[in-house]
Parts: sequence; structure tokens; C-alpha cells
Amino acid sequence: MIKIDAQNVDFYYGSFHALKNISMQIEANTSVAFIGPSGCGKSTFLRLFNRMNDLIPDTRLEGKIFIDGHNIYDKGVKVDTLRKDVGMVFQKPNPFPKTIFENVAYGLRVNGVKDKDYIEETVIKSLKQVVLWDEVKDKLKDSAFALSGGQQQRLCIARALAISPSILLMDEPTSALDPISTSKIEDLVHELKKDYTIVIVTHNMQQAARVSDKTGYFYLGELIEYGETRKIFTNPEKESTQNYITGRFG
Amino acid sequence: MKVIDQEIAALKNTINEMWALVHQQIYNAGEAMLTGDKELAYKVISRERRVNAFELKIDSDCEDIIALYAPVAIDLRFVLAMYKINTNLERLGDFAESIARFSINLPEGEPIDPELIKITRVEEMLHELLGMLSLVQEAFEKESSEIASRIFLKDNLIDEINHDSARIIAHYIETHPGSALAGLYMSGVIRKMERFGDHCTNIAEELIFYLDAKVMKHLGKTEDNK
Amino acid sequence: METVHKIDTIDRKKRSSQKFAFGFFTFLSYLVVAILFVILGFIIIKGGNVISWDFLTKAPEEGMTKGGIYPAIIGTFYLIVGSSIISFPIGIMSGIYMNEYAANSKLVRFIRIMTNNLSGVPSVVFGLFGMSLFVNALGWGDSIIAGSFTLALMSLPLIIRTTEEALKSIDDSFRHGSLALGATKLQTIRRVVLPMAFPNIITGLILSIGRVSGETAPILFTVAAYFLPQLPGSIFDQCMALPYHLYVISTSGTDIEASRGMAYGTALVLIAIVLVVNLLANALRNYFAKKVKMN
Repeated sequence: MIKIDAQNVDFYYGSFHALKNISMQIEANTSVAFIGPSGCGKSTFLRLFNRMNDLIPDTRLEGKIFIDGHNIYDKGVKVDTLRKDVGMVFQKPNPFPKTIFENVAYGLRVNGVKDKDYIEETVIKSLKQVVLWDEVKDKLKDSAFALSGGQQQRLCIARALAISPSILLMDEPTSALDPISTSKIEDLVHELKKDYTIVIVTHNMQQAARVSDKTGYFYLGELIEYGETRKIFTNPEKESTQNYITGRFG
Repeated sequence: MKVIDQEIAALKNTINEMWALVHQQIYNAGEAMLTGDKELAYKVISRERRVNAFELKIDSDCEDIIALYAPVAIDLRFVLAMYKINTNLERLGDFAESIARFSINLPEGEPIDPELIKITRVEEMLHELLGMLSLVQEAFEKESSEIASRIFLKDNLIDEINHDSARIIAHYIETHPGSALAGLYMSGVIRKMERFGDHCTNIAEELIFYLDAKVMKHLGKTEDNK
Repeated sequence: METVHKIDTIDRKKRSSQKFAFGFFTFLSYLVVAILFVILGFIIIKGGNVISWDFLTKAPEEGMTKGGIYPAIIGTFYLIVGSSIISFPIGIMSGIYMNEYAANSKLVRFIRIMTNNLSGVPSVVFGLFGMSLFVNALGWGDSIIAGSFTLALMSLPLIIRTTEEALKSIDDSFRHGSLALGATKLQTIRRVVLPMAFPNIITGLILSIGRVSGETAPILFTVAAYFLPQLPGSIFDQCMALPYHLYVISTSGTDIEASRGMAYGTALVLIAIVLVVNLLANALRNYFAKKVKMN
């Protein structure tokens, strides 16, 4: 089943043509990695899926992006409703200056959930999902800032999962983390893709190789190659892809 | 569970399946030869394609694991060992096929002279070889380099039978000129079986490399023989 | 040997210049503190002996040479509260609008320039403006409400600026984190951004209170009474205020020499009030800083 369907997407920051005629289909319950050198547009493309680029003034989109068959850039689409379904995890762990519990409950609260039992249940479930529960169950009332970087990032993932999205966008989720935390998050991605569609932007090619079913290679705003990760990493079609993944770039 | 562990477990599984298949192929090829059962021989030949398919799959699995998961230390040795064991198993599959072809090429209605089988000790050799193959597989399953190293002693018996066979078969052909062809075929089979023993030893060496990071190749054995 | 010797002298030079610079900086910072203590000490010594319960609770008597300054304390308190009620919400909301909603539009850049200009306007001009708008044009007369509005106008630029700065210092990643969870902009500001910025916003409020309680010129033409022994009955009454009272008894009282002690006492009370307000606000700031779980 096609979950995300981008059709002929062009994106501009002012007069800068950041994405050039990109079409891509992402299947449900798979993980897709975007790789490419800095400034290639991979993060920009990712942020189109939950319309985070709307926050940047003076940008322009052409083309269509369908999620579950609906164009998310249609006039009637409410951005906050869209973002409830398309969760996002950022490069730097960004827990709120609240308790661990309230961080996870936040998404529920802003979306109008009042039922205390349900909130508590969901918080616990989400923390268990990211394998953080055992580490924090005795300090749910502590500040989230007291956690380590890796724990904070897992907390942010739990926070995103609490409002049960169907897509999880991850923008270089481990670039600020140590190797052990990184590997925990990678294992998590493998678990989560059973229930979610995961799109992950990464600078770390090995990470793309490890966690994704499909990989898209971006260069200068173009999608150079998109296909099975196995194929990309053993026998890429384009020379540019090969140069990038072998580190012979530029 | 780490993802690479899952991949490695899957690879191990595939190798085990291939191993069982190859074992079955050799056993069947031997039976076909000893009993003159051509139908069984044909079955071996047709199943050789499955062995080849396994080889291709394991090759590409190893390639994927190396490309995608960048294994190191014991994981890397495991993948490298599997890559080589795969090749050895495939060669064993080829031998099974060629033994089967030998049975098919024998003239219709003329099974091998039981006396020839007896004097060349080929049945004993076959039995020994299958035993070696099971032993390395056991070593693989139990991840025991100790079991694997027992192979090196067994190989001596194979060498001995092989060594004697030339003289015995020559004598047989002298005394049974009518069965010269069968004698020559048998000589070929025994030579193949000797190589078969070498492949089992290779597999054991790869296992020891994977388990203990010890390189066993080109050590010991040559000295024993000379 | 030659080069070693050279390096030696260079090193010595380096170190001595370093020593001198830091010594000088340290001296300057101690000097500032010392001056502050001298002023405080001077006022405490001169004014300390007039401070008494009567001084704090009685109205001035005998041409302001005797009695207390109670009406002025209360007047100043009213003006602080009155101007705060007006300026805090307006200032904070403007700051939020300027930083969160329209961060870089031309209009906001214009408003920003204007508020900066406003903060440079001398306070006496505010007084004159307050007089012509609130006292005369709106017909409120000399009154607490007119004075409060004038003081509020004067403190607005400061509050807007500090609110804006406080909000600007909150990393966008917190806003994005909230928005990405389906929160609206308002929810994000209310639940994430404001709690985090609040301690710093309060700093701005403290500064504005300090300024409001100490200014003379803006209240001169809008509210302050030369002498008014009874307390104001409504917000449309005049009242006394500490800074103006201080000004009056030290420059144009009935007997300047006789009320000298009173003047120092008044100054001491004024300083004490500002200090208490600061401490209170600081406690409030810490309370809010703790409430947002920064660590």
C-alpha cells in the first residue's frame, strides 16, 4: 500500500530552487532513508511531509504530496491535524522543560484529551514502546532534562508516538548521540516500522544501510536514485550514488 | 535483539538447510552408486539445482550483511567463514552430482561388481566422509572448535584408502579385464571422495577461524603426511 | 641563548600586561560596588535616624518638616500597581506578537524602531504628553489613573523589548517540537514558550517597576500632589508619591533645612521599596524558573 506519494515536487526558498521535480512513493510500514551531502534537499523534502516548511517564510511548493490518498497541501487541510498523523523527531533531542510524564502527555493534552486514565495508559505504553520505561518508571516526575541525550531522544520518540501517528519522520535523529544510544535508536526503528511508516534523514550512510528498506539518494536538490537499500549499497545504478556511498565524493 | 543478530541467525539457518541438503545429496549419490539405483541418481542430479540456488542466495546474503551492517570482529569472521563454507558445500554438491552421473553412465543392468566395492573399501570411505560432514555440522551447531578439530584426524583414513586404491584397482583390472571400465570409474570416484575429505577439512578450518580467530590453513596436515 | 632570552622577555611582557589589565578591570568593578555602598551608607546614616513607625504611618506635618510620609508611600504603591496593570499585559502581548507572530514583517520592524525610539524619549516628555492626553484631553484631571497611564506608557518599550528578547532566547527547536505534535501556535506559546521565557520576562518587569517607582517627571504634571495628607479615595484622585515628595522637600519645601532629615528618610524608604520589589520579583522569577523543569 502506498502511504506517501510525492508527485513532481518542486520547492523554492525565495528564488533558490531547493527541490527539483521529485517524485517518490513510500510504502506503508517500511522504513525509508534519505541520504546525500549537506544541502542536497533531503531534510527539506522530509519536512514537506508534515508541512514544517510552512514555518519558513518566503517558500513555495509546486507539485503534490499525497498521504493516504489526500493531497496534504490542499486548501482545506488543517496543519495541526496533519501533524497529529505525521510525527516528527528532530536532530537535537528537544524535550520540553517539563516532567518526563508531561513530555509524553503533551501531545495528548494539546489535542484535547482529558481522560486521565487514558493519558496515563498512553504515556506508559509509549515509554515502553521506545524501551525507556524501565529506565524512567521511578522518575516520571523528574525533569526530562535530567535524562541523557540518548534517553531524551527516545523520550522525544515516545512523545511523538503517544498521539498515535501513522508516519514517523526522523531528521538525523542520532547525529547528536553517542554510538550506544545511536544503536538503540536504530534497533527501535526496526521495531517501529512494523507499525509505522518511517522516513529517516541521515548523514550516516551505514545507518541508512542498517535501518532502511529503501534508500533515496539526493544531490543538489534532485533525487538521483531511489530503490531497495540492498541494491543501492551493493550495486547502485548511478555513478554519483556509488561515489557518495563509497566516500569518493567530489 | 540487534538487527545484525537477526541477519546472522537467518544466514546460519540458510547454511544449515544447505548443509542438510548437501548431506542428503551425498548420501543418495552413494546409495545410488552402491545399489545401482539410477532413479535415485537422477533425483540427485535434479536436486543439484537446489544446491546451486542455495549457494547464490548465501553469496548474496553475505554480500548484503557486509554492505549493510559492516560486521566486525566475530560477526565479520562469521560472515567470511560462511562465505567460504558456502563454496565448499557447493563443491560437495557438485561431487554428489558427479558420483550420481557415474552411476547413470554405467551400462544398464550391470551394477558394480560387489567385489570391487569391497576391495576398494569405497563404502567405508563414503561412510567416513558422511560422518565427517556430520561432525563439522555438529561443531557448527554447537559452535565448538574442539569438535571441529577432530576432523583432522579422520581425514587420515580417507587419505589412506585413497592411497591404496590405485594399486588395488590396477590389480582388479588385471584380474577382471571385462570390468576395466568400472574399475576406472571407481578410481575416479575415489579420487573425488578424497577431495571431498579436503573440503570437509576446509570447512572445519573456517569454523575454527570463525570461533577462535585461529588460522588453521596450511598448517600441520602437510607435515603429518610427509 | 639569544632567542631563549628574547622569548623570556616576551613572556615577561605578556604576563605583566595580563596582570595589569586584569588588575585594572578588577579595580573598576570593585569601584562600582564601592560607590554603591557609599551612596547607600550615606543615605542610611543621614536618613536612618528619622525612620520610625510614625514616619512610615503618619502624614507629613508642619509644612512637611515633621510627621511621616505615609501618603507618599501609599501613592507610590498605587502608581506601581496601576501602571503595572496597564503596562504588563500590553507590553507582554506586544512582545509576543512581535516575536512569535510577525517576527520579520515590515510592520514589526517599524514597531521595533518606534519602541526603541520611545525608550529614548526623556521622561519629562512623557509627563507633558500624559498631561495633555490623559489629564486634559480625556479630562481625567490630575489623577492616579492619568499618572498610571503615563508611567505605563513610559515603561512599555522596556517591557516589550525584554519580552521580545526573552522569547527570542527560546530555541526554535522547542516550538517546532510542539508544533510537530499537532499543537497550535497559541498552545505552543502558552504551554511551552511562555513558561520558559517567563523568568526572563519577569526581569524586564522588575526593571520597569524600579523605573516607575523612581521617576518624578512623568507624575509631576499628571498625578502627584505637592501636599495631600489624606489618602486618595478613588483612581481619579491625586496622590502623593515618594520621588516627587523627595523632590519637593529637598528643593521647594517650606523649610528646606528643617526637612533635610525627612528627605534622607524618604530616599531611604524609596530605595528600600525598590529593593523589596526586586527581591520579591526575584523570588517570583526563581519560582517560575523552577516550575519549568530545566534540570
